[in-house]
Amino acid sequence: MHAFRVSRKACCINKNAPQLEQWIYLFRMTDTSGPSATVETMIFDRLTEVDLPGPVADIVVAALLGDDDLDAVLGPQSWQRPAAPQVTSASVVPRFFLRSVTVEGFRGIGTEATLRVQPGPGLTLVVGRNGSGKSSFAEAAELAVTGVSRRWSRNTAARAGWRNLHTSGMSRVAVGLAADGQAGTMTLAREWAAGTDLEGAVAYFQEPGARREPGIPGGWAEPLQLYRPFLSYSELGTLVDGKPSEMYDTLQAILGLDQLIDAERRLTGARKHLDDISSTARLALPDLLERLVAHPDERARQAQAALSGKRWALDAIDALAVGEQQADSGIPGSLRQVITLELPTPEAVDTAAERLAGAEQKLTRHAGTPAGDAQRTASLLNTALGHYADHPGAPCPVCAGRPLDEPWAAAARREISRLVVIAQEANAAVDERDVAAQALRTILPSEPPVLSQDLGQQVNAAASRAAWQRWAKLIAEASPKDLAAHAPVVFTELASALEELHDAATRELTVRSEAWQPMATALAAWTELARASQHAADDLAKVKQALTWLKADGKDIRNARLGPFAQLSAQIWDTLRQESNVELGPIRLEGSATRRRLSLDATVDGVPCAALGVMSQGELHALGLALFLPRATSPDSPFRFLLIDDPVQSMDPAKVDGLARVLSQLAQSRQVIVFTHDDRLAEAVRRLQIPATIWEVARRENSAIELKKNDDPVMCYLDDARALTRARDLPEEARAVVVAGFCRSAIEAACHERIRNRRIGAGARHSEIEQALLRAHTLYQIAALALFDDDSRGDQVLSSLRTQYGPSAVAAFNAAKAGPHAAYTGNLAGFVEDTARLADQLRP
Amino acid sequence: MTPQQLLNEADQLLVRSTLDTRGRWPRACAWLIRLALEKALDQYWARILPEAALCPMRPQLLLLPSYAAASTAERTRDAWTGLSRAAHHHAYELAPTAAEIRSWHATVTQLTRDLAM
Repeated sequence: MHAFRVSRKACCINKNAPQLEQWIYLFRMTDTSGPSATVETMIFDRLTEVDLPGPVADIVVAALLGDDDLDAVLGPQSWQRPAAPQVTSASVVPRFFLRSVTVEGFRGIGTEATLRVQPGPGLTLVVGRNGSGKSSFAEAAELAVTGVSRRWSRNTAARAGWRNLHTSGMSRVAVGLAADGQAGTMTLAREWAAGTDLEGAVAYFQEPGARREPGIPGGWAEPLQLYRPFLSYSELGTLVDGKPSEMYDTLQAILGLDQLIDAERRLTGARKHLDDISSTARLALPDLLERLVAHPDERARQAQAALSGKRWALDAIDALAVGEQQADSGIPGSLRQVITLELPTPEAVDTAAERLAGAEQKLTRHAGTPAGDAQRTASLLNTALGHYADHPGAPCPVCAGRPLDEPWAAAARREISRLVVIAQEANAAVDERDVAAQALRTILPSEPPVLSQDLGQQVNAAASRAAWQRWAKLIAEASPKDLAAHAPVVFTELASALEELHDAATRELTVRSEAWQPMATALAAWTELARASQHAADDLAKVKQALTWLKADGKDIRNARLGPFAQLSAQIWDTLRQESNVELGPIRLEGSATRRRLSLDATVDGVPCAALGVMSQGELHALGLALFLPRATSPDSPFRFLLIDDPVQSMDPAKVDGLARVLSQLAQSRQVIVFTHDDRLAEAVRRLQIPATIWEVARRENSAIELKKNDDPVMCYLDDARALTRARDLPEEARAVVVAGFCRSAIEAACHERIRNRRIGAGARHSEIEQALLRAHTLYQIAALALFDDDSRGDQVLSSLRTQYGPSAVAAFNAAKAGPHAAYTGNLAGFVEDTARLADQLRP
Repeated sequence: MTPQQLLNEADQLLVRSTLDTRGRWPRACAWLIRLALEKALDQYWARILPEAALCPMRPQLLLLPSYAAASTAERTRDAWTGLSRAAHHHAYELAPTAAEIRSWHATVTQLTRDLAM
C-alpha cells in the first residue's frame, strides 16, 4: 500500500522578482533534489539559534508536537525535549502520473471509452464541443480518485444525470496511474451496479501485481485534500469567491503552516487555561476570609494572620487545615492529652494498700522482741566472746561476777545464733513495710502538667488538680499506716474527678471537631488551589513567552513559506493577464482567529483597490488559476498530474495565449491535462509551437465516444481527406463532396495560420485579428488576406497562386472551392496531394 | 445524387462507425447535408426561375423570399448559413456535435419536401 508522508519545502525568496520560468525552474528543482524542511524542523533550527530559556523552548517544542506533549511539559513530571526530527528525503514520496481514464455508462459516455495519455510530464489537450463527453472524462477521473466531484457537490441538478442514458447495466469510472520509477499500472476505480445511486459507488484500487483492495490507498486522504489536482470551470470562480477565512485556512494548509497554527492554538489554549487557574485562588479568597472571620475557633485567627501577608503562608495554613483528629498542639492537643491520661485501676491501689497494711501488721507482731534488743544482746555477747578469747577464765568485766569459761562461751554462742534469727525477722518486716509503702506512693505519677494548661472555656481541671494534690499530700506526709488506710479513698476521689474531666474533654473535642472540620476542609482545598495557582502563574509566564516567540517567529516562517507561493501566483497572473490593466499585489495572510483572511490587493492602472472588486469574470478565473496552479503543483504533492476542465471559458484570446504559456511551463515538470470546449487553447498551443498532444473528442448519437488525435488542423484536415478518399462505404459522389470539403478546410486553416502569425508578429491585438478573420467569408477573401493581407484583393488570388506556386496549386484551389457544391470528378487522391502541397506553401 | 440520397448518406455517417470515417463524420455530414440543400434549391429554381440557379448561393437566398413561402425561405437561409459555418474551418471552433447535425438533417429533410412542392 502506498502511504506517503507529506513533507513541505520552503523555497528561498529571491529579492529580485524572478521570472515565471525561474519559479517553475525552482519548483522543478525542488521536485528532484534534497530533503524537505517541515515547519517543525525550521522551528528546531531557530530554537538552536536564539537565546530562549530552556523551559520556554521546551514549551514551544511540546506545543508543536501535540496536546499530550504540552500537557506533559506543563505537568508535574519532567519532560524530555526530543531531538530535532529527521528530515525526510523527498525521494521517498511516490509520484503519480496519469496513464488512462476509462469511463463506462457515466454522464455523456455510454459504451466503455478510454482516454490514454503518456504517463510523464507534458501537456495534453482534450478538445471537444460541449456535450461531446470530454467533461465526462474529467469528472470521471476526479470521481475515481477523490470520490467526489466538486461540480456535483454544489449542484444537485447536475447530479441527476450522472448515469448515461444509453446504458442500463453497470457504470464504472477508473484511472490508471503510473508511479514514477515503478513498472505497471495502479488502478483506482469506482463502480456502480445497475440501479444504484451516485452515492452507492464501490471504490477499489489495485496496485501492479497485487489484488484488488476496497477503498482508496492509505495516506491519500490528506494530500488529496491539500493538493487536489482537479479543477473545473465551475470551481474556478469559487477559488476566489470563497470566504476569506476559508481561503486563509486552505493556503495555510498548503503551505504546511497548519503545524504552526496548531502549536499557536495549543499555546493560546494553555495560556487561557493557566490564566484561569492562576486566578482561582485569589478569586476564592474573599469567601474563605469571610468564613474565617466568622469562625470562633482560634485557629481561624491564625489562618487569617497567615493569609494577611503579601505572600500567603501556605505551610502554616496546611498545619491549620489538618482536621481536629491530627492536631497535637494548642487546646485540642491539651484536650487530647487529657483524654489519654491513665490511672491504675482501683483494684491495684486497693491491693497495694492492703499489702502496706499487712506489712505494718507484721511489724507490730515483732514489737515484743525487738530486733534491736536481740541485735544489741548478740552484739554484747559477741564482744564478751572476744574478751573471753583474750582473757579466758577472767571474771565478767560487765558485772565483775563469775569467770567467763568455756561452758559460758558455748552458751553465749548458742544465744547469739538465736538472737540473730530474731533480729533478721524483725528487719525483714520493716523492709517489707517500707517497700509496700513506696509501692503505694509511686502507684500514681506526679500531677501531669497538662492539667495546668489551658483546656478552653468548657473544660475545668480544678477538681482533678485538687484531688491529685490531696494524693500528693497524702503520700508525702502520712505514716505508712495512715497511708494504707487513706490511699484507696483519696484515689477513688481522684479517679472520679479525672473521669469527669476526661468526659468533659471528650465532649469538648467532639464539639470543636464538628465546628472546625468544615473549615479545615475548606482551608485544605484552598491551599491546594493556591499551590496550583502559584504553579500556573509560573507556567503562565513561560507559556506567554513561548507564544510571543512563536508568533514573531511564525511570521518569519509564514513569510518564508508564503513568499515563493505568492510570487509564483503573481508571476502566473502576470503571464495570464496579458492585456488586463489589473496588477496583482502581494498575497497576504492577515489577522488571526475569527478575523483571519487571505488578502489580495491589486492596482488598476496604478491605483490600489481590493482585487476581487475590480476584476471581470475572466480576470477572476485567471486569478483563480493563479492561486490554484501553485497549489496543485506544490513540490510536495504526490500527484504529478493536473486535470483542468475548461479553463478558457470567458477568457479573452490574449489570456488564452498567457494560459498556454503557463501550462507549457508547468508541463515541463508536470503532466498537465486540459479539457476545453473550443479550439482556442489548441490554436494558441499550435501557434506558439508549444509541444502538446491534442485529442479531439466526438460523440455519436448513441453516446459512443470517439477520440481522434488532432495535433495540427491542416494536417488533420488532410488526413481526413486522405482517409475519406479510401472510404469505400461512401458513394463516389458523396466521397468527392466530403473530400473536397476537407481540402478546402485545409487551405482555410493554412491561410488562417499565415494570417494570424503575420499579424501577431506585427503586434496586432487578438481581437482585431479575430474580426478580420470573421469578415473574410469566402475562400477568395481568406486567401487574399493570407497572400496580400487585404481581403478585398480576391480577384488577384488565382494569378498570384499561379505565379508563386504553379498551375497545380490553382487547380487544387479551384477544386477545393467548388467541391463541396459540385462533386469533383477528377482523381481524388491527386487532388488531396495537390491541396497538401498548396497548404504547405501557404503556411508560414 | 439526389438530395434524398445525400441525406441518407449523412444519416448513415451519423450512426455508423467505420475506420475511415471515425471522428471525421461531423464535418462530412455537414457538407453532405448542405449539398443536399443546395441541390434541392437547384431543383426548385429549375422549376420556378432557371436563371437564379446560376447565381452564387447568397443571391439565391436573397431571392428566395420573393418566390417561396416566407418560413421556407427563412429556414433555408438559416440551415445553409449554419451548415456553411460548420463546414468551413473557423478559428477556435470545433466540429459540430451530433445533436446539431441531427437537427440540420431534420430541417433539410423537411425543406427538400417543402421546396419540391
